[in-house]
Amino acid sequence: MSIQILRDLRGLRVLVIHAPDAEGVDLVEHLRRIGCQVEPAWPIPDAADSADVVVLAVDHESRGTIQRLRRSFDGIPPTVIAVVGYEDPSILQLVLDIGAHAVIERPVRPFGLLTQLTVARSLWLERREAAQHIQKIERKLAGLQNIQRAKSILMAAQGISEDEAHQTIRRKAMSKRVPIEEMALAIINANDLLNSPPKLT
Amino acid sequence: MDEARLAARSWRVGVLFSQTGVTSPVERTQLHATLLAIDEINAAGGVLDLPIEPVIYDPESNPKQFRTLAERLLGVDRVRLVFGCYMSSSRKAVLPIIESYRGLLLYPTLYEGFEYSRHCIYTGAAPNQNSVQLARFLFENYGSRFLLVGSNYVYPYESNRVMTDLVRQNRGKIVNEIYVPLNARASDFDRAIQEIKKTSPDVIFSTVVGQATARFYQAYRAAGFDPTRRPIASLTTSEAEVADMSAEVAEGHITAAPFFETLGTATARRFVSAYKARHGAEAPVPAAAEAAYFQVHLVAAAIARAGSDDPDRVLPELAESEYAAPQGRVRIDRENNHTHLWPRVARLDARGQFQVVWNPGVRVRPDPYSMVQSLEEWSPDGIAGLAAPSDVG
Repeated sequence: MSIQILRDLRGLRVLVIHAPDAEGVDLVEHLRRIGCQVEPAWPIPDAADSADVVVLAVDHESRGTIQRLRRSFDGIPPTVIAVVGYEDPSILQLVLDIGAHAVIERPVRPFGLLTQLTVARSLWLERREAAQHIQKIERKLAGLQNIQRAKSILMAAQGISEDEAHQTIRRKAMSKRVPIEEMALAIINANDLLNSPPKLT
Repeated sequence: MDEARLAARSWRVGVLFSQTGVTSPVERTQLHATLLAIDEINAAGGVLDLPIEPVIYDPESNPKQFRTLAERLLGVDRVRLVFGCYMSSSRKAVLPIIESYRGLLLYPTLYEGFEYSRHCIYTGAAPNQNSVQLARFLFENYGSRFLLVGSNYVYPYESNRVMTDLVRQNRGKIVNEIYVPLNARASDFDRAIQEIKKTSPDVIFSTVVGQATARFYQAYRAAGFDPTRRPIASLTTSEAEVADMSAEVAEGHITAAPFFETLGTATARRFVSAYKARHGAEAPVPAAAEAAYFQVHLVAAAIARAGSDDPDRVLPELAESEYAAPQGRVRIDRENNHTHLWPRVARLDARGQFQVVWNPGVRVRPDPYSMVQSLEEWSPDGIAGLAAPSDVG
């Protein structure tokens, strides 16, 4: 995977949110030198849609707009690299809030930027893969809970053993060509419907 | 022109090439070429009527010495422009000093890329200006099973990474990757020789540098291998390293570089004969010396236009400036401070001289941050058909 990260660095869409001063220009130029597709932005925009990586100047004055930008990251947030001039706790809090994967300190210089970009991208990929893995496990766990509930319903309604209930659900699922978790959910829903009190009109 | 400069009555520049130590054979050629260019400029009246005055130290192929002497050049001798460095370790030692004094380093050596400093101009080849061309030539003429042998430091690792990538693109194979100490003795190559016997590769790609190079080629010859069928190919084996070998040891091996001393163009012949007139007919003139030579001329022209040797004023004049170098017209790239160069591949003949066997005739834009070199794309900078220098003049 590591070599793939390096191959993919070129062509990344990088949004550089930084005042267009000498340091901002240096940042943009060096990212272009590395081979990224760079778009400068200033003042801090409300959203960073379409960017793979956001390089963001983090300072006290922009606290409000930085937090607004953070709230706009729904779904998968971009890779975030913070540019800082101070390391007092309130700046550190902002760096954590924005979900930075790496930090560049001022004065900005070319050496080190490629390393930060690589490490940040690698962490971002790991986090994304971990999040996807967790989501998969959570879905699996919810499915298992549903199977358990469906079995209890069948055991109570038909007076059968747990093993027989399991076989029943499995056979049904196979005959309807649906996953066993889906069959279990259908049983639960049907049971809820049958047992729900009639609505008063 | 600034007052201080008028008072000094000269343009003082620093010159840092090793006259002793492991890479001194090639660094001495860079020193000679730098001084040749300075003498030419001074003989023609200097820059804005003032001569260039070199302040020369010997850093002994030792990065710590490089750092100390850079500090002295900028802090005590008050120079602002420094010509020097061969190994990356010496450049890395010198650059922080140059940056802190807001000076400018002119670095005339091929290296592994992945660097940019506003305070450095790189006039040697980046990997996209020699590795790709060498690989293509080798695949077409010898095959794609490679054994890699290198000195143990950053340039060989990175060169080998690039070469491995190219070999894989060509569906070839790296049979092994062997590193020897920087100043390897003949016996340090025993393992490499055994591996060649065992694995029978099509090509040996050598990133051995300095005085160890001749020992490797000698060991190769002594083991009875035939360079016409299975050559050692290199980016670092230049005229300077070949000077330590007999013609019999050298014959048949391959090197890629933007310049060889046998180039037949008028500018190349003028440069080589001026160099040999000073240092003897046998004195080697490698690509590293050619870069050291043309970068002085580029800088002198930039000082003349800027009216100052203040790096902040010289740099904008250097960016995109062109010069008719011995290898062909070269140009500094504004975006990355590296140089547009003319790759060539040469084979050593029976007299131990490089003869160009492939001249693509394309000037190639430097791409120091290229992660993946491509056999098909070399970013020619668009003047290919226009000014391709003929090697047989």
